[in-house]
Amino acid sequence: MKHKQIWLIISILLIGSMILTACGGKPAEPTLLRVWIQWGDNPAQIQELFDKYTKESGIKVEVTAPLEEDKILPALTGSDPPDVLVLSGGDLVKSYAKEGMVAELSDAIKTGGMDLNDFFPAPLNQCKAGDKIYCLPWGTDMYALFWNKDLFEAAGLDPETPPQTLEELVEFSDQLTKVGADGKLEQIGFLPDQAWGHSDLYIRMFGGFWYSEDGAHVTANSQPVIDALTWQQQFYTKYGVDEVLAFSSGWGDAYMSPDYPFYTGKLAMYVDGEWMTGPNFISKFKPEQSYGVAPFPYPADHPERASTAVVQGTVAVIPSGVKNKDAAAKLLAWMMSPAVVAEEMCVNANLPTSKKAAEDKCFTANPKFKVFVDLMASPNAKIIITTPISLEFNDALGLVEEQVLHTGADAKPLLEQLQSDFEPKLQEALK
Amino acid sequence: MGVLQKSGRIISWPWKYWKWSHHERVNFKQGMLFLLPWTIGFLAFTLYPMVASLVYSFSIYHSKQPLEWVGIQNYAQLLKDDLFWKSLSNTIFLVGIGVPMTLLASFFCAVLLNLKVRGLSIYRVIYFLPSIVPTVASTILWKWILNPQTGILNTLLGYIGVQGPNWMSNPVWSKPGLILLGLWGMGNTIVIYLSGLQDVPIHLLEAAELDGANWWQRLWHVTIPLVSPITLFNLITGVIFMFQYFTQAYVFRGFQGLGYPLNSTLFYSVYLYQSGFLWLKMGYASAMAWILFIVILICTLLLLKVSERFTYYAG
Repeated sequence: MKHKQIWLIISILLIGSMILTACGGKPAEPTLLRVWIQWGDNPAQIQELFDKYTKESGIKVEVTAPLEEDKILPALTGSDPPDVLVLSGGDLVKSYAKEGMVAELSDAIKTGGMDLNDFFPAPLNQCKAGDKIYCLPWGTDMYALFWNKDLFEAAGLDPETPPQTLEELVEFSDQLTKVGADGKLEQIGFLPDQAWGHSDLYIRMFGGFWYSEDGAHVTANSQPVIDALTWQQQFYTKYGVDEVLAFSSGWGDAYMSPDYPFYTGKLAMYVDGEWMTGPNFISKFKPEQSYGVAPFPYPADHPERASTAVVQGTVAVIPSGVKNKDAAAKLLAWMMSPAVVAEEMCVNANLPTSKKAAEDKCFTANPKFKVFVDLMASPNAKIIITTPISLEFNDALGLVEEQVLHTGADAKPLLEQLQSDFEPKLQEALK
Repeated sequence: MGVLQKSGRIISWPWKYWKWSHHERVNFKQGMLFLLPWTIGFLAFTLYPMVASLVYSFSIYHSKQPLEWVGIQNYAQLLKDDLFWKSLSNTIFLVGIGVPMTLLASFFCAVLLNLKVRGLSIYRVIYFLPSIVPTVASTILWKWILNPQTGILNTLLGYIGVQGPNWMSNPVWSKPGLILLGLWGMGNTIVIYLSGLQDVPIHLLEAAELDGANWWQRLWHVTIPLVSPITLFNLITGVIFMFQYFTQAYVFRGFQGLGYPLNSTLFYSVYLYQSGFLWLKMGYASAMAWILFIVILICTLLLLKVSERFTYYAG
């Protein structure tokens, strides 16, 4: 009999405790805040940064970084979300906002005493929908042309002079592409979609975008989009689509390793972001690399488009399910303060989104990084226009880009199809 | 869920509880207590999600707002969705080519591993080892093997004068590449076949041998019919597994988008994941899940029906 009673008590306790944990108690004062960060080249450093907040406020902050993309949705919809979620890009924020997954931040901005005038306008604009604001940029990224000076010299080019125009880029690429005796590629001059697609930059360079400027219409079949895809295609068709694909297969997986083709001399020029000039990439994997960075070339007949660049990058959101909104707002405000932005972006070599932070010497001392700082100040710095259908549209555009580049398909009919598929979807979503 | 006799036959149902003896009641309560962990798990993590996904499949799901009931709209849209058909045809390719190849190859290996040769257990271990490598790890390993430039497979093909294909970025070769990857991990199927082969009665084989049957005739007329139930089991589990194929495709694309190259590896479960978890169309994805469930159900029943003519159950 005794045994039976003990078992009964144990099982009741077990079930009871399960129910209690499931319901959860509401702590009056937060003792622990959680920050989830999608990227994270150096998670230990990020934790150290947030430990400073603990020193100032007495509230412990637990950092989780990096996050796989499939953790984002649970983070936003779960009943116990992180207090602040830092996303790699702002392109999906409007989709999340439409679903009510992220909090509108006007109150948080007031509570935290944040000054929106301190933000650079371009990165801030990606967070705004009308008079509502759903995210705040926390550092940002821009892309420019990287070139390998040693390969330039070997090909008889001036290692200090990058191509100025798109036409020159093609010429240089031809001179920098080497085919071996067996007919296989040994070195390639320029690959437009390394390590991922950069059609946003090229389309801006050709003078347009895949949405109208107000985000009210899809313009996938507009001339700049067609031109930009067709321009990229030549780097595949000219050197042979299959040859280039076989040569570049698996390059992306080597991105954070010494085997990256830009380091091993297989790729002479490509487009990448400002973080490459920092401590976690080139200087870590190949410190002796001799390379240069310059704004991406412009079309020869449109010199006014020089220094066109696309701002895209990290944004912070507060999930709508956060219980203690004030505590989250204060933490967010601390993250956005110029001193913290300066420190974090300096360490990781990301562009500061706070104007005050950008005055820090750290961002101007490295001439290669300075190229990006100047790009952000350029009047041609553009944002990526986003809409509530960005998620699905980006994947569909990515497929068209792949078909054009990797199979040599004609861009125009594919883009016409994309236009007729997605314009109704956008109108439906904007209703 | 009643009081059982030793033979397993139910002699009394719980609604006659008050007529049971004290001993029967104690037995019943203890039995229920032992069943409780599984029952809670089943209700909370299997039955509830299934019912919920059925409801979601007829609605537009918003995580923070009430469900929007839309009737069969999701199903109707699916039929018009090119990606749905693309993902279904990709999956059927895997099922149609991958499953028979796995069956053939693993049966062949099992026959070899059933021969009486020295070091047999070592060979068996070697053939089984790949199956205990985690899927993600083996997929990453195979990315290196299949790399068209530096991979060992194309290097070996090069030695015999064959120009290896572009396994990773050519849409024609991406699925065969994944099937190869799957063959590497067929240790489980081999082991099941092996146990079946060892159950083939020696006296039948000896009788056939006395009648003058050669090795091939013994295999074809005695062994294969006798292991046909094993083949059916491997076939059905293989079909179900291939319909749900996800991890390898998810890992294999590496830095590229899902389905790379050119949606040739956009399998059914991959597209389901993309719709639900990346495009936030949870209702749509639930509808896909239910269609998959029904497709698998029909396939399994069909296989069971058809197999009656080909399967031989001894005893």
